[in-house]
Amino acid sequence: MKKIEAVIQPHKLEEVKEAMKGIGIDGMTVTEVRGHGRQKGHKEIYRGMEYQVDLLPKIKLEMVVPDVRMEEVVRTLAMSARTGKIGDGKIFVYEVVEAIRIRNDDRGEAAL
Amino acid sequence: MTSGVVNLEPVVTRPDAAVESVAHTLASRSADVEDLVRNAWAKTMHPVPGVALAATGGFGRGELFPHSDVDLLIVVESESQIPPIREPLSAFLQKLWDAELRPSHAIQTVTYCASEHEDNVELSISLLDRRFLAGDVAMFQFLDERFTAFAAKRKGTLSRWLARMTEARRAKFQNTIYHLEPDLKNSPGALRDLQTVRWLAALRQQTVDVAASFEFLAGLRIRLHEIAGRDHNVLSFDAQEAIATDSAALMRDYFRHARVVDREVLKALEAANAEPGNLLGRFHDWRSRLSTTEFTVSRDRVFLREHIRPAGLRLFEFAARHELKLAADTVDRLTAYQQNNWETTWDDWKALLSTPKPSFGLRAMQASGALTSVLPEWARIESLVVRDFYHRYTVDEHTLVAITSLESIRDARFAGLFAEIPDPWIVRFALLLHDIGKGSGTEHVAESSAIADEILDRLEGPEADRAAVEFLVRNHLELSSVMTARDLEDDATSLLLAARVETVERLKQLTMITYADITAVNPDAMTPWRLEQLWRVYLAGYRALTAGLYSERIHHAESDALSAFLEGLPVRYLRTHSPAQIDSHFELARQLESRPVAIEITHDRRIYVLTLLTRDRTGLFAAIAGTISAFGLNILKAEAFSNAQGVIVDTFTFADGNRTLELNPTEVDRLRGLVRRVAEGRQDAAQLLRARPKPLLPSRQARLKPSVTLSNDASETATLIEIVAEDRPGLLYDLSRAIAAAECNIEVVLIDTEAHKALDVFYVTSGGGKLDAACSARLQDVLRAACSGDSK
Repeated sequence: MKKIEAVIQPHKLEEVKEAMKGIGIDGMTVTEVRGHGRQKGHKEIYRGMEYQVDLLPKIKLEMVVPDVRMEEVVRTLAMSARTGKIGDGKIFVYEVVEAIRIRNDDRGEAAL
Repeated sequence: MTSGVVNLEPVVTRPDAAVESVAHTLASRSADVEDLVRNAWAKTMHPVPGVALAATGGFGRGELFPHSDVDLLIVVESESQIPPIREPLSAFLQKLWDAELRPSHAIQTVTYCASEHEDNVELSISLLDRRFLAGDVAMFQFLDERFTAFAAKRKGTLSRWLARMTEARRAKFQNTIYHLEPDLKNSPGALRDLQTVRWLAALRQQTVDVAASFEFLAGLRIRLHEIAGRDHNVLSFDAQEAIATDSAALMRDYFRHARVVDREVLKALEAANAEPGNLLGRFHDWRSRLSTTEFTVSRDRVFLREHIRPAGLRLFEFAARHELKLAADTVDRLTAYQQNNWETTWDDWKALLSTPKPSFGLRAMQASGALTSVLPEWARIESLVVRDFYHRYTVDEHTLVAITSLESIRDARFAGLFAEIPDPWIVRFALLLHDIGKGSGTEHVAESSAIADEILDRLEGPEADRAAVEFLVRNHLELSSVMTARDLEDDATSLLLAARVETVERLKQLTMITYADITAVNPDAMTPWRLEQLWRVYLAGYRALTAGLYSERIHHAESDALSAFLEGLPVRYLRTHSPAQIDSHFELARQLESRPVAIEITHDRRIYVLTLLTRDRTGLFAAIAGTISAFGLNILKAEAFSNAQGVIVDTFTFADGNRTLELNPTEVDRLRGLVRRVAEGRQDAAQLLRARPKPLLPSRQARLKPSVTLSNDASETATLIEIVAEDRPGLLYDLSRAIAAAECNIEVVLIDTEAHKALDVFYVTSGGGKLDAACSARLQDVLRAACSGDSK
């Protein structure tokens, strides 16, 4: 099993959710986060006052999928979250040691 | 019973049987537990003289809920009796746990029980419901006598402590009964409040009738315990559905009873806090000096002096202005007055919603039922539950929380933005109506707009104000949707936003509506994430709108006279003026056929607006600003536009702080005459200003560092100058004169003030185009000097 974690632009969330649904991935955790990568922050000038915006609002998605589906999910996610501009975000993939469904103690991929 | 409760058999389904059933269920549970406790005591505790077992709290009252804690008090004569009974006591409690009870016990001496303990008020309160169970009956009787005497003597102190505990608990629930998923034990208006009403009445040796509400609330709590199988008291959405076929009707019934309890507990708390000897109460008495011929203020509560209903919304405006609540007596009297027609005017609402904290007035209206009387449409959302995952309050409560949220804005950016809005009451009125169409079964924004239209028509307010409120209600979800569904880095988003909101003023209003609407979803809804996103939306719109201020011009195909007047004015002019204002400007423009200058001065209380139309010439704007300042008047806002014929439309909004114009009506004519002479070039403004005393500048420490920013990117044809500086009389004159002296032409001006801060935007050209680098640098220096009052 793989855990896929993605940080995306907030306005892309609905599109990504739809795309995931389209390939049969329904379960995901969505968190509102703030941060920056290479996009860094930028300076805002408002009313002649300059201030630094360090942490930009982003959306973090987390999902765990069977190994065989990893490539497809990553590809779909990247396509639906892409605008081609700086700040589109990142996708990280991790190995998952175990998954347990708390309700009935299902284990492994059966718990997904 | 109207709630469609079907699964409550046999507890509350049949109205006739309900009273008996709830009482029976609680009493029989208490009796069963009592048997178990007595048996366990007999088996484990050897009779010891001077040791008694008493039931307290709900168990003491014989109102034990299926899974509630079993409150027990072991009374001893002296502390030396405690060590020998520890071991058997442990076995006694073990037996209760084995019987699946949850004992909650305390061991105390009679002396301790019959004395004041501010850190253990709960014990004194629980002893109000004491009952003998087992052990030394003489010991219990001794406690009974001592505690009865103590409670009678110290009833004032106990009442105030109980009131304090109650207020602290209610604060944890934001002091409102209107939670979508209320806690049947601890929420305001629920069983703990109801019991507080009984306790406070008992301490004053009075009786109170809250039986009907008790039966309803207790019946629900019994059912909740049965469903959950534990001491679970939150009436969650799931529980609401499990208990009733029509959960909306169930919740309406719940809020109806909770309102009764809430009103009774507030009345009881008011009486408890008014007990003689209350230091805080005495402190609050000084506010009685606020009393008027209509209202008496005593201990932070407003009483009516006459046995008639005050006209309009005066009572509520008074409560809001002084941040007071209505006395229980006032609420009772208003409730009785409600049958009569209660008419309000546009000005009533404007006055109430213009106070800094209108929530005090609106809450008072809600508590007394006046809100529904004056605004019958409010009944549609009263206690209305609209389920969603995030909302915590009923629709009416959400609305009031939203309005309250604008009274203490923590984020400095939004606080500043709200302070810049000249008519914050428009925003508040729109918030009052923004969700009024909820619960209709159709899309709520359209429904709210339609209902708002009817209300606005009925109140017959000025057209521009009505249009502003209507716009805000109709678009109150726009920015939320942009926040989550649009790319804020994309110029198309900014342009779309600008096209929707049309003016910076409306953008500001809509931003604050969105801020309040999100904040009022639940106490944690306005996360730093959402705050940042909303601010980014505001900035995106602000940039697009300010960039378009000047470059978009009106071009009419028709050739009538009005079109000729409008031709070439910035599009912003149309967006910021009502048809009536445009007509009035057009009339002034027609006067130019027979005279060189047309002037109009209007006023609303101490705020005056001077409109001037004439042929443009260099330095004119500065000269008029200087003339107004020379009169000792403080310019708050100014706008300057010019049309294709070279006619300028300048408006100056200024405050008559010294009441010069108000107290001397002939001075208005003198001002008009002076402005005319200056505009016609027959009088020098600089000369007028020389006669004025030099204004005092704030101390250097308090002075705002001026900021002057020039940009050639904001507009296609002009240079944008943004100035933020400490406001002072004559500032606008100094700035505009500096621009004219640098041989630059002012195309558009937007002047605003926020407290002592002046926020000025000028679009200027030089030689018909943007300023070059050298000219920009020179102008920046002279403007900085002008901001500091150092210009010559």
